[in-house]
Amino acid sequence: MPPASHTPHRVRRVVLAATGLATVTALAGCGGSQSAATSLNEQAPVTLTWWTGQADTAETILEDLAAEFHTLHPNVTIKVSSGAPTTDDLLQKLSAGFAGDSYPDISYAYGSWAGELEASGRTLDITDKVSDPTVKWSDFSSAARQTAKPTGGKTIGFPAVVDDIALFYNKTVFDAAGLAYPTADWTWDDFRTAAKKLTDPSTNTYGYAYSVSGGEETTWQFWPHLWQRGGDILSADSKKATFNSQAGVDALTFLRGMVIDDKSVYLDQTDTNASPLFASNRVGMITAPPWELYDLKVAGTNYGVTLMPGYNGNHETISGPDLWALFDHKDPNRAYWSYELAKWLTDPAQDLKVNVGYGNLPLRPVEMDTPEFRDQAQSQPGFDVLAKNIVNAVKVRPTVQGYAPLSEAIGTAISSVLQGQGDPRQALDAAAATADQALAG
Amino acid sequence: MAATTVFSSRSERGRGRETAARGATAQQSAERRRQIRRRSLRADFEGWGFVGPAMVIVLGLSVFPAVWAFLLSLQKWNGFSTPTNVGLANYATMITDGQLRAAVNHTVLYTALFVPTSVLLGLFLAVALNRRIVLVGIYRTAIFLPFVASAASTGILTTYLFNPQYGLVNNVLRVLGLPQQGWLENPSQAMVVITLMSLWGQAAFTTVIYLAALQDIPGELLEAARIDGANVWQSFWHVTFPQLAPVTVFVTIWQTIGAIQLFDLVYTTTRGGPLNATETIVYYMWKSAFKNLEFGYGSAVAYGLFAVTLIITIGVVLYSRRTKVEAF
Repeated sequence: MPPASHTPHRVRRVVLAATGLATVTALAGCGGSQSAATSLNEQAPVTLTWWTGQADTAETILEDLAAEFHTLHPNVTIKVSSGAPTTDDLLQKLSAGFAGDSYPDISYAYGSWAGELEASGRTLDITDKVSDPTVKWSDFSSAARQTAKPTGGKTIGFPAVVDDIALFYNKTVFDAAGLAYPTADWTWDDFRTAAKKLTDPSTNTYGYAYSVSGGEETTWQFWPHLWQRGGDILSADSKKATFNSQAGVDALTFLRGMVIDDKSVYLDQTDTNASPLFASNRVGMITAPPWELYDLKVAGTNYGVTLMPGYNGNHETISGPDLWALFDHKDPNRAYWSYELAKWLTDPAQDLKVNVGYGNLPLRPVEMDTPEFRDQAQSQPGFDVLAKNIVNAVKVRPTVQGYAPLSEAIGTAISSVLQGQGDPRQALDAAAATADQALAG
Repeated sequence: MAATTVFSSRSERGRGRETAARGATAQQSAERRRQIRRRSLRADFEGWGFVGPAMVIVLGLSVFPAVWAFLLSLQKWNGFSTPTNVGLANYATMITDGQLRAAVNHTVLYTALFVPTSVLLGLFLAVALNRRIVLVGIYRTAIFLPFVASAASTGILTTYLFNPQYGLVNNVLRVLGLPQQGWLENPSQAMVVITLMSLWGQAAFTTVIYLAALQDIPGELLEAARIDGANVWQSFWHVTFPQLAPVTVFVTIWQTIGAIQLFDLVYTTTRGGPLNATETIVYYMWKSAFKNLEFGYGSAVAYGLFAVTLIITIGVVLYSRRTKVEAF
């Protein structure tokens, strides 16, 4: 799952034993309870707790906006904090908060948690409110809207951050090999040919890098391959895994060919090596999300960004939108103001500060026609390509409960096959069987 | 607490004798009993005052979570939905879980590689450092330094050294004209690399324990052996080594328990890969609970692991009692 900030926090709290497992649950969670109102009074004083999941600059921006919202609505006090040491840890904090009945009004949430959050029964349902045309809900990308409505029933919050992956190419490596740069209408065969030519064992240079950690990084890079070839992750009723279709087998066979036959792919075991290797001209191409731009800028890499290579003219990509999840405290005043805060925050005027100013993609296309956006595109080449590429994220990554084990199962299958063990069809069939068990609950 | 109780009960007795000397009427003895009760209440209070804070921590951070984890192990819970009781189903799943069996095998392999080596290496280093040589303080510090380094930094160092494409070790092999190795990316070598790095960090622990034990061995024993004509090897094997037996039992258990719980180094280097070759029991447990959100199953695995460490500890303690080696 994609971290939300530029610098993904890799350091995570590690809990060694089951005792620790429950300790976290028992000790985390704070925030007082207030006496709940029974009917809505917009003027009544209200205190909201907001977990941002951000650090450093991103956190400061949000704290400033919370203060601004308080100035606009003096009866609304916002207790804003990052909520957890890293964005990943928010999930445990929320789980603990639900257990201890002290959870925030608003929290940042990875899109992949949406199904679990809805199943907790603690979220608000804002479906009716966002159908108001003044909210301009339909301006959000379809992936973002579907993630906010994980099972098609309740809308549990607003999109917070959107992203997608595109093809990054290292101009230094391409120039050294005397190859033309990739274009927006490249096919995967063009891609494979180039990767092979860029690979040079004598200098340890690889054409492409792919994750074999078996985690979500391995999995989500695979979905565009599957979708472009006409495959789907789940059956229409979301009860069965269908990634082991012919499309899936072909996609994995293609990647296996690049890795095993061409030896043109650097296999990243821990999801931490590919990006620095690309930045230091050891890897020619990566398929990566927007936060890569910041690291490349810092490293001073000479690079370009274009659309994902396509299959039969289909250049679909994947998006992993994150959310501002809204939680129910059986208090109409808190519910009202939580919604208002999230709506205000994701309005283009504020989003230009929250996301575009910080270097994330804009939530709505209308923001692309602003000086802020142009500045960002100027300072981080490829930013505009990634922003426009969001429309190519046609299908949404599933947000049903059971996606986590499904991702684990296919991630393991992909990494086994790419490391020379097992045959694509058998590996995917086995993964689908495991995933079906998880989906059945 | 013990000291306070002893002290106050002693003064109680003194006071009792004084009162008896003044002549014990029924009223007086009733008064005395009340006093004693008040006194012992105070002593109790003082005692609890001393143990209280520690007890709250132990109860809150160990006992309560342990009990809760046990309850969790009887449930199916993803951290969010309402948990459902599944009885012993999680434990039943463990028996047929192929991935868990693989994790057990990896852990056993690691333990078999790590424990004997770390004990023998610690013994060797301790004997080597237990003599009057120039700069021995520096050598001792150098041996101990890696122990202070966190597993995270050891892990980062490991990836720098053993990266197959860009690591230092393969560069050295290249210069020497030897074939390149996959190290952390080769399923059959990864666990060996992790063992090597654990030893680098952990050998200091056994060394320090052995060093302390060596300095406790009475000099006259070795002297007597020398006078009886024993050579260096004989006096080590027949005098020093038996004297070290309790410490050997202790460090073996300690290192075994530590080895069974290996997690941090795996997390910071391979994340269980390549192809799950370094997935240990604790890593698998963490993955089940926190990545796959199967908290019930994760807790069940934790209890399985707890049972194993408990059995090992009890077994060794019984053995050492029977053989009169006092390790604990």
